[in-house]
Amino acid sequence: MSEIYDIGYRHYDGPRLGAGHAARALTVHSLRGVFGLGRTARSKIMPFALGVVMLLPAVVSIALMALAKQRGIPYSGFAVMMQAVVAIFLASQAPTVVAPDLRHRVLPLYLSRPITVGQYVTAKVCAMTAAVFLIIAVPLVLMFVGELLVDLDEPLPTKEFAGSLVMALVLSLLLSAFGLAIASFTPRRGLGVASVIAVYLLTWAAVPILYATFQSTGDESGAAWAWLLNPFWLVDSVQSWLFGTPPHSIEGEYPSGPASALILVVLIAAALAALALRYRKAAAR
Amino acid sequence: MHILATEGLTKRFPTVTAVDQLTVTVGPGVTGLVGANGAGKSTLIKMLLGLLPPTAGAARVLDMDATTRGAEIRRLVGYMPEHDCLPPDVSATELVVHLARISGLPRTAARERAADVLRHVGLAEERYRAIGGYSTGMKQRVKLAQALVHDPKLVFLDEPTNGLDPRGRDEMLTLIRRIGTEFGISVLVTSHLLGELERVCDHVIVIDAGRLLRSSAIGEFTQVTRTVTVEVDEGTDALAQRLAATGQRVTPHGRMLLVEVQGPGTYDAIRDAAADLDLALIRLEQGRHRIEDVFREEAASV
Repeated sequence: MSEIYDIGYRHYDGPRLGAGHAARALTVHSLRGVFGLGRTARSKIMPFALGVVMLLPAVVSIALMALAKQRGIPYSGFAVMMQAVVAIFLASQAPTVVAPDLRHRVLPLYLSRPITVGQYVTAKVCAMTAAVFLIIAVPLVLMFVGELLVDLDEPLPTKEFAGSLVMALVLSLLLSAFGLAIASFTPRRGLGVASVIAVYLLTWAAVPILYATFQSTGDESGAAWAWLLNPFWLVDSVQSWLFGTPPHSIEGEYPSGPASALILVVLIAAALAALALRYRKAAAR
Repeated sequence: MHILATEGLTKRFPTVTAVDQLTVTVGPGVTGLVGANGAGKSTLIKMLLGLLPPTAGAARVLDMDATTRGAEIRRLVGYMPEHDCLPPDVSATELVVHLARISGLPRTAARERAADVLRHVGLAEERYRAIGGYSTGMKQRVKLAQALVHDPKLVFLDEPTNGLDPRGRDEMLTLIRRIGTEFGISVLVTSHLLGELERVCDHVIVIDAGRLLRSSAIGEFTQVTRTVTVEVDEGTDALAQRLAATGQRVTPHGRMLLVEVQGPGTYDAIRDAAADLDLALIRLEQGRHRIEDVFREEAASV
């Protein structure tokens, strides 16, 4: 016969780790949350479905290399080509990272622990950046591994591949900072999804309109700047400057590379500053 | 030894002074912080956690300055907020394990502690379900569990009985008493209901509009007064007359009589009077101050 003993309250005298450990734990927890791990099955559908959609072109590309002995999608152009899917991923998942803690006022449970507001925001940005990066980088790596195995006659585009990974990380940071900032100002999750996708559609739709307008007035150099309105083409223009890849705009060249890089840095800083301000206000409540 | 101490602690917001020149010390055990809504209880706790810089004065928690060593304090202190603060889509286990790790516990220790503490607050199988489906009572238990999971030296419980039914309230109060005694964790518990703190606290601090009204041991609040309550089945008036005739000071109080105790003779007089008149004595009880009375007196005199 078994008996259950009440062993009473036990004290904890093990190690108490610092804020760095806490920030890492929060990053991993948030990253798992983006992909719905440890959540209901329903919250896994969207991120994994989009992940599969991102993998399809990579699979087609490998098949093309194996059967027709020619490259499908260039590594440098993958993100621009798949931008709609990446944007939907950002819009659907960024609110899950920030909205529940704000809406359900979980933030005080964090801030009454060793972690600071700054570390909290940093962990959230890192988690979202890692998630977007995974979504873009996994197909890229798959394509590269495929190319290694297929062994085309051409030399391996290692530099282009490495460049595309670096720029994928930069793009992920830009998208995440903006996505989280927008989502944090709209704590209702549905509203967050809608506003992130609305901002993306605006940048996506404005480009051709502005481009055509400038071109019709004969201002070719002015028209080129229109591309930088969209985050994907902005990052592509920096890639083109840094790694010498061909522009993946629909038509025409990008304006100067250094200017694009500067705009990129300013935009990331602005989004992070907006996030910081939002959370300073939320923490004071 | 003081668990926490404040010295002239003041917090002014643009429109209101939430905490005003508060100087108070708290020892180990269970301490009640009593005040009406808006008396400054939550603001005080935020300052003690080092989350809100005071306008003036200083606070020390576990012998650390709250303004400069907030992070260290927060590692050894637990906090249960007054408001709802639980995400609905995760299970209690997952949330409490996660928050244990944020408090600095390694992964395995966090799991063990979370399981232990959820058992202590009385959450059984339901702890694996999403919190969204919990009752108010269960949510309060999860909020308490997350405050205890890192085995703090001190917990701040902000209105833990809020929204609970009488039975839930009783269970929560019993649990708070156990935390202070059996678990050996000092507790600062706030409430706007004075009566319920009487049962669980060793010490009570009363604040109103951010100012200290009174701080003393529970015994002093509920000290024995110099009256005895007498209740008889019938013949209350006759008893009152007989007692008054023997020189006792009697005041009728509903169906009962309050008799001022002048010495051991008073008890004899009551006994003799009841016996002589052949009355059925139902109750003979020493009068006690209740916290409510004290609060009312203090509030009236300020």
